Amino acid sequence: MNTVLILLPLVLTLLYSLATVPVLVWMERRIAALIQDRLGPNRCHINGIRLGGIIQSIADMMKLVFKEEFLPSHIKNRFYYLVAPSLAFMSAFLTFMVIPYADTLTINEQSYSMQALPTDLGVLWFLAFAGLGVYGIILGGWASHNKYAILGAIRASAQVIGYEVAMGLSLVSILITYGTISLNEMVSYQTQSFFIFPAWGLFIQPLASIIFIVTAFAETNRAPFDAAEGESEIVAGYHTEYGAMKFGLYFVAEYIAMAASGALIVTIFLGGYQLPYLNTSELINNFELILWGIIAFAIVTSLLFLRWMKQHNIFAMSGLDETKIYTTVVIGFTIFAILVMSYYALGFGDANEVGVMLLQFAVFTIKLFFLHFVFIWVRWTLPRFRYDQTQKLGWNILLPLSLANIFITAIVVVGVNYGN
Amino acid sequence: MQSDSIFFLLALITIVSSIVMISAHRPIDSALSFIVTLVSIAALFALVNATFLFVVQIIIYAGAILSLILFIIMFLNIKDENLPDERYKNYWLLGTSLIVAPFSFILIDLILRSNIALKAQISEEFGTIKDVGLTLFDKWILPFELVSILLLVALIGAVILSKKEA
Repeated sequence: MNTVLILLPLVLTLLYSLATVPVLVWMERRIAALIQDRLGPNRCHINGIRLGGIIQSIADMMKLVFKEEFLPSHIKNRFYYLVAPSLAFMSAFLTFMVIPYADTLTINEQSYSMQALPTDLGVLWFLAFAGLGVYGIILGGWASHNKYAILGAIRASAQVIGYEVAMGLSLVSILITYGTISLNEMVSYQTQSFFIFPAWGLFIQPLASIIFIVTAFAETNRAPFDAAEGESEIVAGYHTEYGAMKFGLYFVAEYIAMAASGALIVTIFLGGYQLPYLNTSELINNFELILWGIIAFAIVTSLLFLRWMKQHNIFAMSGLDETKIYTTVVIGFTIFAILVMSYYALGFGDANEVGVMLLQFAVFTIKLFFLHFVFIWVRWTLPRFRYDQTQKLGWNILLPLSLANIFITAIVVVGVNYGN
Repeated sequence: MQSDSIFFLLALITIVSSIVMISAHRPIDSALSFIVTLVSIAALFALVNATFLFVVQIIIYAGAILSLILFIIMFLNIKDENLPDERYKNYWLLGTSLIVAPFSFILIDLILRSNIALKAQISEEFGTIKDVGLTLFDKWILPFELVSILLLVALIGAVILSKKEA
């Protein structure tokens, strides 16, 4: 039990970062298709099972893994060329280590932190390793010995360095408000209420959250700030000379960086793993009531899903009957989940702490995937900024705004605490 | 025991990478091994529970300053024929290290003889951001402000110099 609970956050980190990448690729394609009014990849199947198109991402992954490892002959610095993608990947992965997935679990007076790395460094850790990610890009572009690659690397690194300043300053005002750098304490601060709203960072610090979200887009080199890989100007930017799994590592690193900044935005600005207004002890005390709510929700959503699938999943495939299998699986899983939940809801078993932990995982996951949706939505809606516009936005608009925000925040915090 | 072996590993990485940094021919090799040195020094800080120093070392040195240096090296586009001919470099390094050796021996001896906090009990709070902040703004407020004025002067100087050229 002890080992399981210590390993759990590490396994979750792998799940949220590495294992979500195929899902993210699938989401990217299907949402792009939705926005452009087409269907997206949905034909790839294993004996008739398509999983809504996820099989396509798995096929793509297989392609990247089994592709020939090719080393261009003009590359002199082989070591740097080969080490660059793994640097990008490692630093993206390490940023994930401090995200809390649930509140600290206390069983038999022993507490288990639900962060992969039980440290209070929080935000600073994220900034440190997000900054190290630049080296993967700089080195990759430089070692590729190619004009397009080096232009892309210079663009990307100048952008990341510039936006890091605004990101750090917008975080300073957040730190002043919450009075802590530990992400776990930030989340528990956000369970309070602020007038009628939950005291989420988004409502307390609207300016800082907008600045942070914009800079997070720029830090991860995602559209509209992806001039570093602007295919109409500089081919593919810093990974022009990379192929097979070396390109795959850059590709995965970009998605992991996106997932990590999404997770940080959820934790700092959207209340993290907590439901609005409710803190952990309230959840534990009213767990039976919440279980009944979840049971009702599960019944309604699975019925709606089944109806939707019957109408829309009509593409004729050879092999097994997909709709029938999914219907059986959904009904079976829902009944099983309801049986388990009602066992606890009726008070036969007592596992409130673990139950609340699972609920918090679920809340965190839903918020995180909402953020992923926003990232993808923005990418397929906004056109790419020209490169000088990107720099101007960072240095001339976001930087002064975040400085002004620190000033205002400091005045308000000192004013509110005056006399205490 | 465990932390001892980690310490020796990190110390070895630090020393080797700093030697590579001094003796490398190309500037990019020097810069990259300097990054390795800085990160392993940060890890040494983490080993003695100075978590704030650890993270600040990575953010400022390894993350910000070194990436600017690398950026400049990339911009300059140094070719192999532009680099100076350093035929006697290794002899120079050997000679200077022989001259410096007695001084460093004295320094090591001094450290071993003094009893600077080698066996002192430290509190749980030591090295955390709160502890560092309180010490900095309580005991060392004057030096801290002087250093920030120095930084401000450098900042203004950089702005003025870049305006002049434009």
